[in-house]
Amino acid sequence: MRLPLLVSAGVLLVALLPCPPCRALLSRGPVPGARQAPQYPQPLDIFQPPPQSEQPQQPQARPVLLRMGEEYFLRLGNLNKSPAAPLSPASSLLAGGSGSRPSPEQAAANFFRVLLQQLLLPRRSLDSPAALAERGAENALGGHQEATERERRSEEPPISLDLTFHLLREVLEMARAEQLAQQAHSNRKLMEIIGK
Amino acid sequence: MSPNFKLQCHFILIFLTALRGESRYLELREAADYDPFLLFSANLKRELAGEQPYRRALRCLDMLSLQGQFTFTADRPQLHCAAFFIGEPEEFITIHYDQVSIDCQGGDFLKVFDGWILKGEKFPSSQDHPLPTAERYIDFCETGLSRRSIRSSQNVAMIFFRVREPGNGFTLTMKTDPNLFPCNVISQTPNGKFTLIVPHQHRNCSFSIIYPVVIKISDLTLGHVNGLQLKKSSAGCEGIGDFVELLGGTGLDPSKMIPLADLCYPFHGPGELFL
Repeated sequence: MRLPLLVSAGVLLVALLPCPPCRALLSRGPVPGARQAPQYPQPLDIFQPPPQSEQPQQPQARPVLLRMGEEYFLRLGNLNKSPAAPLSPASSLLAGGSGSRPSPEQAAANFFRVLLQQLLLPRRSLDSPAALAERGAENALGGHQEATERERRSEEPPISLDLTFHLLREVLEMARAEQLAQQAHSNRKLMEIIGK
Repeated sequence: MSPNFKLQCHFILIFLTALRGESRYLELREAADYDPFLLFSANLKRELAGEQPYRRALRCLDMLSLQGQFTFTADRPQLHCAAFFIGEPEEFITIHYDQVSIDCQGGDFLKVFDGWILKGEKFPSSQDHPLPTAERYIDFCETGLSRRSIRSSQNVAMIFFRVREPGNGFTLTMKTDPNLFPCNVISQTPNGKFTLIVPHQHRNCSFSIIYPVVIKISDLTLGHVNGLQLKKSSAGCEGIGDFVELLGGTGLDPSKMIPLADLCYPFHGPGELFL
């Protein structure tokens, strides 16, 4: 009699134990004991999800600091061709104006617009190495544009983007922030529905 | 055990499994709102599914990591644009063209690349991807809307586009589909834990972390050769068969990275390998 009772109690305990969600793969959060990855110098967070009617508002506006450390261009044409001259880091820009902070959407748009302006508007007074590098990039880009327009589409070589890892991580962090904000919004909606 | 006791145990198990977790929802409700068939009604699902999909404008240089609808409209000629897509490691990316308004004859283009390509370096590398490089580009100007939905082979994809005429553009929807056994993955974060399983397949897989990291491998299981357990050899991993290679570098292409360590002998915890 006791044995069946013990077995039933054991079954009850096992059944009532919390079961973690069955996600076999990547889990979030720091791994215990893992050393923190070295923090590379990065600008302050500038990306905030664009405000929409259903989007949650950010709790606070953040100062915006743009650091144009690298330039990039879209490489068109034969990848075997030598790339443009090495690009040197440009000077830092401080966005935010005279005391007034741009909106989050404007800040993100500013960030990407400045990135593209580095590519499309070369006539700026920069240091000579940076100016030379930028002119080299512009010439390479102009040459690539003409070459690409002449080529037939079926013969067009693979397109690639010359973007540094630093900028890639920047945009990835922006995307992650956007994803988390959207997840928070969805969770709030879900709790509102369940709580009815 | 007696048959009666077995039946009681089965009944208890079924009863508890059916209620496990779900009973919490019943506890939160007032008596007046109590709906005994709430769990079976479609209203809850409908409310959750009726949410509008995420929408926003697509930028000339963009990174998308969540599902939704994205619209690019050129306010001026945009000649060099690209958007990266990245999902969870266990997801495929599906790009669906909702509306495209570009002038292909005038030099506009819209291409989907299966993977990421950066400075000419591709992920997955040519050795790891089932398709040749040329077939990894899907040009809208060639295929039109006949290939309206394009699914990637891994958790990353990207598009290249050029729109000259202001006002032209396109709208696409990004969706994710589950990938039971991901083979080539780019991690979104520098922290986390991942288990790569290659079930009875002869293929090369890779897991990429585009951050400076410390890698700790706590468990490694390798396949057998001809049904025999691998024998340890002091001659390295040459000709042994399955192996894990840790690479480092500043590019995206694993085939162009520098080997740091080769692991060809299985081991289990608590032993760990730090790099």
